[in-house]
Amino acid sequence: MHFLKGRDKNKIFYLLLMIPAFTIVGTCILLPLVKSIILSFQEYRMVGPIESRGKWTGFSNFLAVLHGNELSNALYITLIFVFFVVSLEFFFALGTALSLNSGISGLKQSKKNVLQTLILLPWVTPTVICALLWAWMFQPQYGVWNYLLLQLGLIHAPLGWLVDVSLALPSVIITALWRDLPFMFLMLFAGLQTIPREPYEAALIDGAGTLRRFVAITLPFLRNVIRTTLLMAIITNFKQFPLFWTLTQGGPMDRTTNLSVLTYKKAFINLDFGQAAAIATVWVFGLVLFALVYTRVFQSGERE
Amino acid sequence: MGTRTLKSIQVQRYLVPVTAWIFSGIVLLFLLFPLYWMFVSSFKTNLSLYRIPPQFFPLNPIGDNYVEIARSKAFLTYFGNNFLTSISTTFLTMSVSVLAGYALSRMRSKVADKVCVGLLSTQIFPVVGLIIALYTFFLYLGLLDTRTSLVLVLSATAIPFSTWLLKGFFDDLPLSLEEAAEIDGCGKLRILTDIVLPLSKPGLLAIGIYTFMVAWDDFLYCLTLIVSDSLRTLSVGISMRYLGEVSYDWAQVTTVSVIGSAPMYLLFLFFQRYMVQGLTAGAVKG
Repeated sequence: MHFLKGRDKNKIFYLLLMIPAFTIVGTCILLPLVKSIILSFQEYRMVGPIESRGKWTGFSNFLAVLHGNELSNALYITLIFVFFVVSLEFFFALGTALSLNSGISGLKQSKKNVLQTLILLPWVTPTVICALLWAWMFQPQYGVWNYLLLQLGLIHAPLGWLVDVSLALPSVIITALWRDLPFMFLMLFAGLQTIPREPYEAALIDGAGTLRRFVAITLPFLRNVIRTTLLMAIITNFKQFPLFWTLTQGGPMDRTTNLSVLTYKKAFINLDFGQAAAIATVWVFGLVLFALVYTRVFQSGERE
Repeated sequence: MGTRTLKSIQVQRYLVPVTAWIFSGIVLLFLLFPLYWMFVSSFKTNLSLYRIPPQFFPLNPIGDNYVEIARSKAFLTYFGNNFLTSISTTFLTMSVSVLAGYALSRMRSKVADKVCVGLLSTQIFPVVGLIIALYTFFLYLGLLDTRTSLVLVLSATAIPFSTWLLKGFFDDLPLSLEEAAEIDGCGKLRILTDIVLPLSKPGLLAIGIYTFMVAWDDFLYCLTLIVSDSLRTLSVGISMRYLGEVSYDWAQVTTVSVIGSAPMYLLFLFFQRYMVQGLTAGAVKG
């Protein structure tokens, strides 16, 4: 390739280096995405004659999916779940991060590090193990939560937690909160530690109170971290599958069937890949749209 | 300063630390008690697990559960498979991301930044949505129910973030060394392996551990792509074997939970610094 100029040669070399990564991501994420959109317009059942697989059926999968209230129920469950998990974890993570960073005065860096390590432990626990552990604590007869709540006099009869129609979703929310809070804490805590001290000292001289300093200094400095972590938390929880599947399998009475569980059930229990792909297409489209709007809104806010 | 503000400052002086202590204390208790409970429960027999009131401090802890698990062939298979899959995924992801991250960093162009954002945005797509198509792919290729399929898809999950993180890391390295080596006639690949990589240990550790943890945590890919019990990984293996079949043998469930989490805790305790640096660097930068 001696006829190529040095710059072009470099470019080709760099492009070659990227091939393996892009091949893997392309074949395992992008191609399946396209294929899944194609499947949503086809009849594709894993039971019955093979010839019927791949017949084009227009929008009939989408119509079938939109017809019942399955999809709207799953969307509702997903939104409730995301809203509660994300807002609760944001509140508690921010509170803890603020407490450890400045609230408790004179906390040494080494102690802060130890506390950070302890706080992060739930987050490194494998998701399915989190689910198993909480299933054990939610166990109606011998679970520790019922025992403690009974002892404290907060309840008068053991609760059914995961099998109770109205408690199943809150139970999954608590479990997800337990696992996700540490990560949010880590991000906010790291963000807080990058804020310089001077603005606070100046504000203190001006007589600004705790709340005032928080709103005028801390929040603006944390803006980027909050933007990124909230988006990550919303996306992760929107897609949550293993917690739901291990804890409740979507029951009781579909009260914990979120979009992921519904898609999975349609595909691998009803074995209707076409309809499952249609469901997935609808909500993936929605999620991408949301992410675009979200970053747009934050960007336009930044320019002001 | 009026007396009122002076008084409110006095109140804040005590109110803030007390609230901070109580708040973080409650959160810590909420986060750590379940782990303590998992640990304690694994040292009890089923008989004592089903006792009311429960023993919060077990008087005579027993290791029988651990002995039983160590003898369980099924568990050892799952654990071994998980290890093999995670190690292979980590190896593949690291080598591929180093190349791509280096290229994207040294191209020094706006396009490279866009490509990175594009890579990262693949994280939005849910596994459940992809798995339907992946299943038909692997079925067609005859790769269904093989470890290869698992390693490939898990690498695809970890590569975007790893590449992005490494690109950021390489961006911060001084170029002068590389330029000097180039003048000396050092080949491009040699520069990468002999000069850049030794300087990038923290970044490499960060993505290595991140990838290992992503792979170790996998549930859905194994649940759908693996059919044979002998190839199953930990999460699916234990949820299938210990929930349902044995109908809630909680002593065993908590014991496998402890053993299944232990590698993660160890990795985390040893390499926490790199992981935390790697993960927070991007978010704090924005």
